[in-house]
Amino acid sequence: METYFLPNPRRGAWLARLAGQFNLFYPAEIEKRIHWQRYNSGEFQLEGVALKRIRAAEPIKGFLFAPRERVASFPQPLAPESVNVAPGPGVRTLLFGVKGCDLPGLAVHERMFLSGEFKDPFYAQRLKNTVLVASDCPIPEQTCFCNLLGLKPYVTEGVDLSVSVLDEGWLVEVLTERGKGLIEEARDGFQKAGEELIAKREGQRQRAMQLLKEQNPREWNPELAQAIAIKSRDLDFWQKAAGDCVECFGCLLTCPTCFCYLLYDQGNAERFERTRVWDFCYLPMYARVGGGANPRPRFIQRFINRFQCKFMHSKNQNGFYACSGCGRCFTTCMGKIDIRNILGQL
Amino acid sequence: MSNPYQPIPARILNVIDETPNIKTFVLQPEREIPFLAGQFVELTIPGFGEAPFTPSSSQFQRETLEMTIMRVGRATGALFTKKPGDLLGIRGPYGKPYPLKQFEGRDIYIVGGGVGLAPLRALFLALTHEIKKYGRIFLRYGARTPRDIVYKKQLNEWEKIKGVDIDLSVDSADEPWERKVGVVTCLMDEIPCDVKKSVAVVCGPPIMMKFVTRKLLEAGFPGSSIYLSMEMNMSCGLGQCGHCRLGPYFTCKDGPVLTWEQIKDIEEPFL
Repeated sequence: METYFLPNPRRGAWLARLAGQFNLFYPAEIEKRIHWQRYNSGEFQLEGVALKRIRAAEPIKGFLFAPRERVASFPQPLAPESVNVAPGPGVRTLLFGVKGCDLPGLAVHERMFLSGEFKDPFYAQRLKNTVLVASDCPIPEQTCFCNLLGLKPYVTEGVDLSVSVLDEGWLVEVLTERGKGLIEEARDGFQKAGEELIAKREGQRQRAMQLLKEQNPREWNPELAQAIAIKSRDLDFWQKAAGDCVECFGCLLTCPTCFCYLLYDQGNAERFERTRVWDFCYLPMYARVGGGANPRPRFIQRFINRFQCKFMHSKNQNGFYACSGCGRCFTTCMGKIDIRNILGQL
Repeated sequence: MSNPYQPIPARILNVIDETPNIKTFVLQPEREIPFLAGQFVELTIPGFGEAPFTPSSSQFQRETLEMTIMRVGRATGALFTKKPGDLLGIRGPYGKPYPLKQFEGRDIYIVGGGVGLAPLRALFLALTHEIKKYGRIFLRYGARTPRDIVYKKQLNEWEKIKGVDIDLSVDSADEPWERKVGVVTCLMDEIPCDVKKSVAVVCGPPIMMKFVTRKLLEAGFPGSSIYLSMEMNMSCGLGQCGHCRLGPYFTCKDGPVLTWEQIKDIEEPFL
């Protein structure tokens, strides 16, 4: 599809227009880190949109798979249509500045929540009402390793629009009909992108690829799933790998692909509400059954299980690793456990 | 799109004391739960939460649902305070049923331990409902003591069915007992069917399943003909939440009945 150019002076008006139609969130630099910020017309400053930086500290999964939400009530049933992204039903969200490493998480969650016999109506509704606008990562940081997963620091599919920041303005590539609509509504601001600007974007993208390759030169074992299966019983290897882990499960909390959840009820015998919250397989009681038996009572078993889940079972069953190379797991890690080093040894 | 997390109300019609710590709850769900033997449901104890249980009644009788449950923890503790007329919630059915089509024409060797006879009862009732389709049905059942045997009266009735062969054991007999004393594997020294052509179905405590499986393999049953109830923490029932992972499987979706062939490479599959 087509690529448009939006000159610098026109950017603010376009965002304001989008913010009028959607709950718009954009990446903003706050104390040197990038966080998702909600567009607020009273406070918004265009310079605060940190599109050129890498992914936000928070994965985007929370916008679609809520960290905590009411999913059922009793005896009066809960209609999924009555629950929606704040502030109310039917409101659509636009995430402006999604990165390539945000997308594998969506693929995992769509597989978990929408592809099986039982579909999650809450996830489906949010996904339908969420517009994704990506932006390139022109300068990958030391924590980035998307290239080892076969990903790129820019997006050419799986989102509605893809934005590249150039000195002159934004290049906006249309990737879906829905994305096209967002440009057409604001047509007066956009120009057809010339070859020179597109070439400039390509140069910027290639430099980013080169940077990633330089910092992550060694590719992983192409048979990683098989290598993990073989290594699974080598407890010495995993003990060493788990090193200084303090079991805070920050790596799981920030992982864009983690999907585990817990259902719990609050109320009494006459009436209760069921809530779903994110859950974490590092927790000792996670897999415990009624009566007390636990298949993974030792932390090292739970540590290995995480690698099996993401790099063995996901690959064997879905055809892709449940990892995006975003580096959040070790950015967060108090023990500075770098997953690249562990997987690089396999 | 329906809401898979929403339970439907189910009224308790009757509560039957099976043993000092096992009861059978007879439930009438507001809507029919079209389960097949081997599948399970999520039972809500309002105000306490949910737990997975396998119906023990016949899949051919669907207006009511029976579940035989042992008191082991918080949820079952709350459930045991419930009386006829009380309301519970139910979701399901979930998981894969026993592949009865594949059982047709073959002898079926069923081994149960303790409350593990509950899901096997659903299987047994499904088999005997259309008994001509199958070969002989063997049931080997072990409990801790005579007092811990579930479905006592029904076991006597089942023994009278032509084509059914039942043998029982208890770990220890503190009251008069005419059958064998010993763990259930003591009933398996002679397996009176052609193991290569038969299927074995096992449900019971993990340690029992481990040793019964070993015995079945020694007797020559192929791993693909040994069906085991691998009930892990099946929390959502939908194949999503992750808690019931057993190797590459989610037991709530891929099981809970898995063959030995499917799980043999998993390190310590029995809890």
